[in-house]
Amino acid sequence: MNPYLAGWRLGFLRTIRSPGDMSVRIGFFAIILVVMTALWTAAVDANGGSLHGYTRTSLLWYVFAAQTAVLGVRPRSVEEIGDEIGSGTVAVQMLRPVSVVGLRMSIDMGEACARLIASFTVGALLTWLFVGAPPSLPALGLTAPAVVLGCAANIASCHAFGGVAFWLLDAKASWFFFQKLVFLPGGMLIPLELLPRPLELISFALPFATMAYVPGRIAAGHPDPLLLLWQLGWLAVLLGMAGAVFAAGERRLQVMGG
Amino acid sequence: MTAVAATLRTALANGLANRNSFWFQVSLMVANDITWIIFWVLFFHQVGNLRGWDAHDVIVLFSILLTTAGVALGLCANSRKIGQLSADGALDETLTLPVPPLAHLLSTRVDAANTGDLLLGPVVFLLAGNPSPERAAMFLFGVVAGSVVLIGFLVACGSLTLFVGGRGEQADLGFNAILIFASYPLDLFGGATKMLLFTAVPAAFVTGVPARLVRNFDTPEALLMVAVAALFALVGWGTFHLGLRHYSSGSIWIR
Repeated sequence: MNPYLAGWRLGFLRTIRSPGDMSVRIGFFAIILVVMTALWTAAVDANGGSLHGYTRTSLLWYVFAAQTAVLGVRPRSVEEIGDEIGSGTVAVQMLRPVSVVGLRMSIDMGEACARLIASFTVGALLTWLFVGAPPSLPALGLTAPAVVLGCAANIASCHAFGGVAFWLLDAKASWFFFQKLVFLPGGMLIPLELLPRPLELISFALPFATMAYVPGRIAAGHPDPLLLLWQLGWLAVLLGMAGAVFAAGERRLQVMGG
Repeated sequence: MTAVAATLRTALANGLANRNSFWFQVSLMVANDITWIIFWVLFFHQVGNLRGWDAHDVIVLFSILLTTAGVALGLCANSRKIGQLSADGALDETLTLPVPPLAHLLSTRVDAANTGDLLLGPVVFLLAGNPSPERAAMFLFGVVAGSVVLIGFLVACGSLTLFVGGRGEQADLGFNAILIFASYPLDLFGGATKMLLFTAVPAAFVTGVPARLVRNFDTPEALLMVAVAALFALVGWGTFHLGLRHYSSGSIWIR
């Protein structure tokens, strides 16, 4: 079997065999949906039923998809990558005749897919229950690939950010910085259209919007295939960046005798 | 009590032993908290007033949450780790000591990152909370009572692991639930959710009621706050001690 496919399978099986962890995540997701339903319902009610074109229903389907995409990725992924590099564990991984970053990303993607299946299903059911049908069923269909692409872009970014540990021996700061970039310019906490104009424009120019905003925007009733192309474009760039960071880092590690 | 105070002092000294790391983690948490403040400012800039709450009120609520979380998760860092410690059989080293086990566990570990919350919370209140002597006293009262509620709740959730097994997932879920609900204005919620916040997941008593007391002091509500704090202290203590009867040693003496 292709080693990357085997890595994906390993990650997938490992996750579905941890029902405790999975149930905590689903519970966490359900709580977020309850809170966000209350928050955005109050916000929309206070603004005559619409906020920059988002109704209560579309906002809450936005929240569902954006949160699903972000929660698919292991929360402290960047920090863990940094720990493995900082502690030297990565040197053992380099002995394998496969790309370290490629195999790591395959495993992470396998784990993410298992989580996404559960959280997409439960989240969609809960959101439907809380606010009714999605604004557009074709949009909900297109949300599924958007969530997977958002997750993939997020995982690639985690590796690019985590790779700084080859130089700093720790990625805690970079994990923290990355997380906040997904929260605000990524559109996880608030749709980008609701940000002040200059911040909105900057956010659209950054890759983080492909990780939360795009799935959210599609689920909110905008099934525009160009949004998927936008994700694919940034995914290619981010995969290249992660590969380049690890390649440079591994060369440095060899020079240092690690 | 002296033993517990000495343990806490040692835990603090341990946390501060690597000063660079300590302040680095504190600064990360402060930056994290500031991101949330920015979110609320942007949110209210867009939305305006929300069921009687504006950005100013939410920042006061947030300052209470930061300080409370700083006490419960920073100074008493093990309050959210009881389930994991039980699952790992790591209560052995505490149970061998001639000290009250729960008090010892709660004072054994200080979390540097959450200490950042404890430092930032009062600063946010001083800067944005219109701190008159009355409001400052209510802030302090709310933080103390809210911390007791939060610690009691987290200990009770963690102690469930002693009854039902697992790796401390019950505590994780309880921890996530109470912190998320406590981060938002109480008046956003209605019906069954609001009922839940006043009972099973007492987030209302961690931030919502203290924030209301800072805004408008009300004696019956303050007395209710004291009663609820005492109740959750008792629930946490009782669940932990009843759960200890089910504890199996992991033969782990040193960690």
